[in-house]
Amino acid sequence: MNKKSETRDVYTAVADPTRRKLLQLLAEADELPLHKLTAQFQMGRTAVSKHLAILKDADLVKERKAGRETRFRLNAEPLKEIEDWVSYYTKFWNERAELLRRLLEEEQNET
Amino acid sequence: MKPEISLDFEFRSSVEKVWHALTDSTMLAKWVMDNNFKPIVGHKFQFHTEPTKHWNGIVDSEVLVVEEPYRLSYTWVTAGENTIVTWSLKRMDNVTHLHLEHTGFQSESLSYNGAKYGWVNMATQLEKLLRDQKN
Repeated sequence: MNKKSETRDVYTAVADPTRRKLLQLLAEADELPLHKLTAQFQMGRTAVSKHLAILKDADLVKERKAGRETRFRLNAEPLKEIEDWVSYYTKFWNERAELLRRLLEEEQNET
Repeated sequence: MKPEISLDFEFRSSVEKVWHALTDSTMLAKWVMDNNFKPIVGHKFQFHTEPTKHWNGIVDSEVLVVEEPYRLSYTWVTAGENTIVTWSLKRMDNVTHLHLEHTGFQSESLSYNGAKYGWVNMATQLEKLLRDQKN
Protein backbone atom coordinates (compact mmCIF):
# COMPACT_ATOMS: atom_id res chain seq x y z
CA MET A 1 0.00 0.00 0.00
CA ASN A 2 1.53 3.35 -0.86
CA LYS A 3 1.80 6.14 1.66
CA LYS A 4 -0.01 8.73 -0.36
CA SER A 5 -3.26 6.82 -0.68
CA GLU A 6 -2.98 5.88 2.98
CA THR A 7 -3.06 9.51 4.09
CA ARG A 8 -6.30 10.04 2.19
CA ASP A 9 -7.84 7.05 3.78
CA VAL A 10 -10.95 7.55 5.88
CA TYR A 11 -9.46 5.44 8.69
CA THR A 12 -6.33 7.54 8.86
CA ALA A 13 -8.45 10.67 8.71
CA VAL A 14 -10.41 9.76 11.82
CA ALA A 15 -7.40 8.37 13.70
CA ASP A 16 -6.48 11.83 15.00
CA PRO A 17 -8.19 13.52 17.98
CA THR A 18 -8.19 17.00 16.41
CA ARG A 19 -9.85 15.71 13.27
CA ARG A 20 -12.35 13.73 15.28
CA LYS A 21 -13.23 16.89 17.19
CA LEU A 22 -13.59 18.76 13.89
CA LEU A 23 -15.97 16.09 12.64
CA GLN A 24 -17.96 16.29 15.83
CA LEU A 25 -18.21 20.09 15.65
CA LEU A 26 -19.37 19.85 12.05
CA ALA A 27 -21.83 17.13 12.95
CA GLU A 28 -23.43 19.45 15.48
CA ALA A 29 -23.77 22.36 13.04
CA ASP A 30 -25.04 22.52 9.47
CA GLU A 31 -21.90 24.25 8.29
CA LEU A 32 -19.16 26.35 9.86
CA PRO A 33 -16.56 28.82 8.61
CA LEU A 34 -12.90 28.31 9.49
CA HIS A 35 -12.75 30.99 12.21
CA LYS A 36 -15.59 29.37 14.15
CA LEU A 37 -13.80 26.04 13.96
CA THR A 38 -10.43 27.53 14.88
CA ALA A 39 -11.97 29.18 17.95
CA GLN A 40 -12.51 25.70 19.41
CA PHE A 41 -8.82 24.78 19.35
CA GLN A 42 -5.55 25.89 20.91
CA MET A 43 -3.85 25.77 17.51
CA GLY A 44 -3.91 28.41 14.80
CA ARG A 45 -5.98 28.53 11.62
CA THR A 46 -3.18 27.14 9.46
CA ALA A 47 -2.97 24.00 11.56
CA VAL A 48 -6.75 23.62 11.58
CA SER A 49 -6.79 24.13 7.79
CA LYS A 50 -4.30 21.30 7.37
CA HIS A 51 -6.53 18.96 9.33
CA LEU A 52 -9.53 20.07 7.30
CA ALA A 53 -7.58 19.36 4.10
CA ILE A 54 -6.98 15.77 5.23
CA LEU A 55 -10.66 15.39 6.05
CA LYS A 56 -11.52 16.80 2.62
CA ASP A 57 -9.16 14.32 0.96
CA ALA A 58 -10.99 11.53 2.73
CA ASP A 59 -14.27 13.09 1.52
CA LEU A 60 -15.43 13.49 5.11
CA VAL A 61 -15.71 17.25 4.79
CA LYS A 62 -17.12 19.38 1.97
CA GLU A 63 -16.53 23.08 1.53
CA ARG A 64 -18.35 25.84 -0.27
CA LYS A 65 -17.72 29.52 -0.78
CA ALA A 66 -20.24 31.88 0.77
CA GLY A 67 -19.18 35.39 -0.14
CA ARG A 68 -15.66 35.82 1.19
CA GLU A 69 -16.01 32.93 3.57
CA THR A 70 -15.35 29.25 3.02
CA ARG A 71 -17.82 27.13 4.92
CA PHE A 72 -17.28 23.53 5.87
CA ARG A 73 -19.78 20.79 6.41
CA LEU A 74 -19.63 17.13 7.29
CA ASN A 75 -20.13 14.41 4.73
CA ALA A 76 -20.84 11.31 6.83
CA GLU A 77 -21.13 8.89 3.91
CA PRO A 78 -17.54 7.50 4.11
CA LEU A 79 -18.06 6.73 7.81
CA LYS A 80 -20.52 4.04 6.80
CA GLU A 81 -17.60 2.16 5.33
CA ILE A 82 -16.10 1.87 8.79
CA GLU A 83 -19.31 0.78 10.39
CA ASP A 84 -19.94 -1.71 7.62
CA TRP A 85 -16.55 -3.25 8.13
CA VAL A 86 -17.03 -3.70 11.86
CA SER A 87 -20.57 -4.99 11.75
CA TYR A 88 -19.62 -6.92 8.64
CA TYR A 89 -19.09 -10.30 10.30
CA THR A 90 -22.18 -10.16 12.49
CA LYS A 91 -24.21 -9.48 9.39
CA PHE A 92 -22.18 -11.99 7.39
CA TRP A 93 -22.64 -14.89 9.83
CA ASN A 94 -26.32 -14.15 10.43
CA GLU A 95 -26.93 -14.23 6.69
CA ARG A 96 -24.88 -17.39 6.27
CA ALA A 97 -26.70 -19.10 9.14
CA GLU A 98 -29.98 -18.26 7.43
CA LEU A 99 -28.71 -19.98 4.27
CA LEU A 100 -27.69 -22.93 6.42
CA ARG A 101 -31.15 -23.09 7.96
CA ARG A 102 -32.75 -23.23 4.51
CA LEU A 103 -30.27 -25.85 3.39
CA LEU A 104 -31.03 -28.03 6.41
CA GLU A 105 -34.77 -27.60 5.96
CA GLU A 106 -34.55 -28.70 2.33
CA GLU A 107 -32.59 -31.72 3.47
CA GLN A 108 -35.21 -32.46 6.14
CA ASN A 109 -38.01 -32.33 3.57
CA GLU A 110 -36.20 -34.66 1.18
CA THR A 111 -35.87 -37.43 3.74
CA MET B 1 -13.05 -3.37 24.16
CA LYS B 2 -11.94 -6.04 21.77
CA PRO B 3 -14.48 -6.77 19.08
CA GLU B 4 -15.69 -10.32 19.36
CA ILE B 5 -18.55 -11.97 17.66
CA SER B 6 -20.66 -14.44 19.61
CA LEU B 7 -23.82 -15.73 17.97
CA ASP B 8 -26.32 -18.51 18.68
CA PHE B 9 -28.42 -20.36 16.17
CA GLU B 10 -30.97 -23.15 16.54
CA PHE B 11 -31.86 -25.85 14.07
CA ARG B 12 -34.34 -28.69 14.09
CA SER B 13 -31.92 -30.97 12.23
CA SER B 14 -29.80 -33.41 14.23
CA VAL B 15 -26.36 -32.48 15.53
CA GLU B 16 -24.90 -34.88 12.94
CA LYS B 17 -26.68 -33.13 10.06
CA VAL B 18 -25.52 -29.70 11.22
CA TRP B 19 -21.99 -31.04 11.71
CA HIS B 20 -22.07 -32.38 8.17
CA ALA B 21 -23.08 -28.93 6.86
CA LEU B 22 -20.18 -27.39 8.80
CA THR B 23 -17.55 -29.86 7.65
CA ASP B 24 -18.48 -31.04 4.16
CA SER B 25 -16.78 -28.90 1.53
CA THR B 26 -19.70 -29.07 -0.91
CA MET B 27 -22.20 -28.16 1.81
CA LEU B 28 -19.96 -25.33 3.08
CA ALA B 29 -19.81 -23.90 -0.44
CA LYS B 30 -23.61 -23.66 -0.41
CA TRP B 31 -23.82 -21.50 2.71
CA VAL B 32 -20.40 -19.98 3.43
CA MET B 33 -18.14 -19.72 0.38
CA ASP B 34 -16.32 -21.88 -2.11
CA ASN B 35 -13.55 -23.70 -0.29
CA ASN B 36 -11.19 -26.65 -0.13
CA PHE B 37 -11.94 -27.50 3.49
CA LYS B 38 -11.22 -30.90 5.02
CA PRO B 39 -12.07 -31.78 8.64
CA ILE B 40 -8.45 -32.63 9.48
CA VAL B 41 -6.49 -30.75 12.15
CA GLY B 42 -3.63 -28.86 10.49
CA HIS B 43 -5.27 -28.84 7.05
CA LYS B 44 -4.67 -25.50 5.33
CA PHE B 45 -7.43 -24.25 3.07
CA GLN B 46 -9.08 -21.17 1.60
CA PHE B 47 -12.54 -19.74 1.44
CA HIS B 48 -12.93 -17.57 -1.59
CA THR B 49 -15.57 -15.40 -3.15
CA GLU B 50 -15.90 -12.44 -5.51
CA PRO B 51 -13.48 -9.66 -4.60
CA THR B 52 -14.90 -6.25 -3.66
CA LYS B 53 -13.45 -2.75 -3.68
CA HIS B 54 -12.13 -3.19 -0.15
CA TRP B 55 -11.43 -6.92 -0.03
CA ASN B 56 -9.71 -9.50 -2.23
CA GLY B 57 -12.35 -12.13 -1.40
CA ILE B 58 -9.87 -14.65 -0.02
CA VAL B 59 -9.81 -16.09 3.49
CA ASP B 60 -6.78 -18.19 4.46
CA SER B 61 -7.53 -20.82 7.04
CA GLU B 62 -6.07 -23.70 8.97
CA VAL B 63 -8.10 -26.28 10.86
CA LEU B 64 -7.38 -26.07 14.60
CA VAL B 65 -9.96 -28.32 16.29
CA VAL B 66 -12.11 -31.18 15.02
CA GLU B 67 -14.15 -32.84 17.78
CA GLU B 68 -16.89 -34.57 15.83
CA PRO B 69 -19.71 -33.64 16.17
CA TYR B 70 -19.38 -31.05 18.91
CA ARG B 71 -16.59 -28.63 18.19
CA LEU B 72 -14.87 -27.23 15.13
CA SER B 73 -12.37 -24.40 14.95
CA TYR B 74 -10.26 -22.84 12.23
CA THR B 75 -8.24 -19.70 11.66
CA TRP B 76 -9.77 -16.96 9.51
CA VAL B 77 -7.04 -14.77 8.09
CA THR B 78 -8.13 -12.02 5.74
CA ALA B 79 -7.71 -8.30 5.12
CA GLY B 80 -4.79 -8.16 7.55
CA GLU B 81 -6.81 -9.57 10.45
CA ASN B 82 -5.77 -12.90 11.94
CA THR B 83 -8.89 -14.25 13.60
CA ILE B 84 -10.40 -17.55 14.77
CA VAL B 85 -13.80 -19.04 14.05
CA THR B 86 -15.11 -21.64 16.48
CA TRP B 87 -18.35 -23.60 16.16
CA SER B 88 -19.88 -25.51 19.09
CA LEU B 89 -22.87 -27.79 18.77
CA LYS B 90 -25.19 -29.37 21.31
CA ARG B 91 -28.56 -31.06 21.30
CA MET B 92 -31.06 -29.82 23.87
CA ASP B 93 -34.86 -30.06 24.04
CA ASN B 94 -35.04 -31.58 20.59
CA VAL B 95 -33.17 -28.67 19.06
CA THR B 96 -29.60 -28.42 17.83
CA HIS B 97 -27.88 -25.38 19.30
CA LEU B 98 -25.08 -23.97 17.22
CA HIS B 99 -22.82 -21.43 18.87
CA LEU B 100 -20.36 -19.33 16.89
CA GLU B 101 -17.43 -17.38 18.24
CA HIS B 102 -15.37 -15.25 15.91
CA THR B 103 -12.48 -13.83 17.93
CA GLY B 104 -8.99 -12.40 17.73
CA PHE B 105 -9.65 -9.01 16.12
CA GLN B 106 -6.79 -6.66 16.93
CA SER B 107 -8.65 -3.60 18.12
CA GLU B 108 -5.71 -2.12 19.98
CA SER B 109 -3.28 -2.37 17.12
CA LEU B 110 -2.67 0.79 15.17
CA SER B 111 -2.50 -1.16 11.95
CA TYR B 112 -4.72 -0.27 9.05
CA ASN B 113 -7.37 -2.76 10.03
CA GLY B 114 -6.98 -2.22 13.73
CA ALA B 115 -7.81 1.42 13.20
CA LYS B 116 -10.97 0.49 11.37
CA TYR B 117 -12.18 -1.46 14.35
CA GLY B 118 -11.08 1.12 16.87
CA TRP B 119 -13.05 3.95 15.41
CA VAL B 120 -16.36 2.28 15.01
CA ASN B 121 -17.88 3.94 18.07
CA MET B 122 -16.98 7.35 16.83
CA ALA B 123 -18.45 6.65 13.42
CA THR B 124 -21.62 5.23 14.90
CA GLN B 125 -22.01 8.16 17.28
CA LEU B 126 -21.60 10.65 14.49
CA GLU B 127 -24.09 8.91 12.32
CA LYS B 128 -26.58 8.79 15.15
CA LEU B 129 -26.05 12.47 15.81
CA LEU B 130 -26.74 13.23 12.16
CA ARG B 131 -29.85 11.06 12.08
CA ASP B 132 -31.19 12.74 15.22
CA GLN B 133 -30.69 16.15 13.66
CA LYS B 134 -32.46 15.24 10.45
CA ASN B 135 -35.57 14.19 12.36
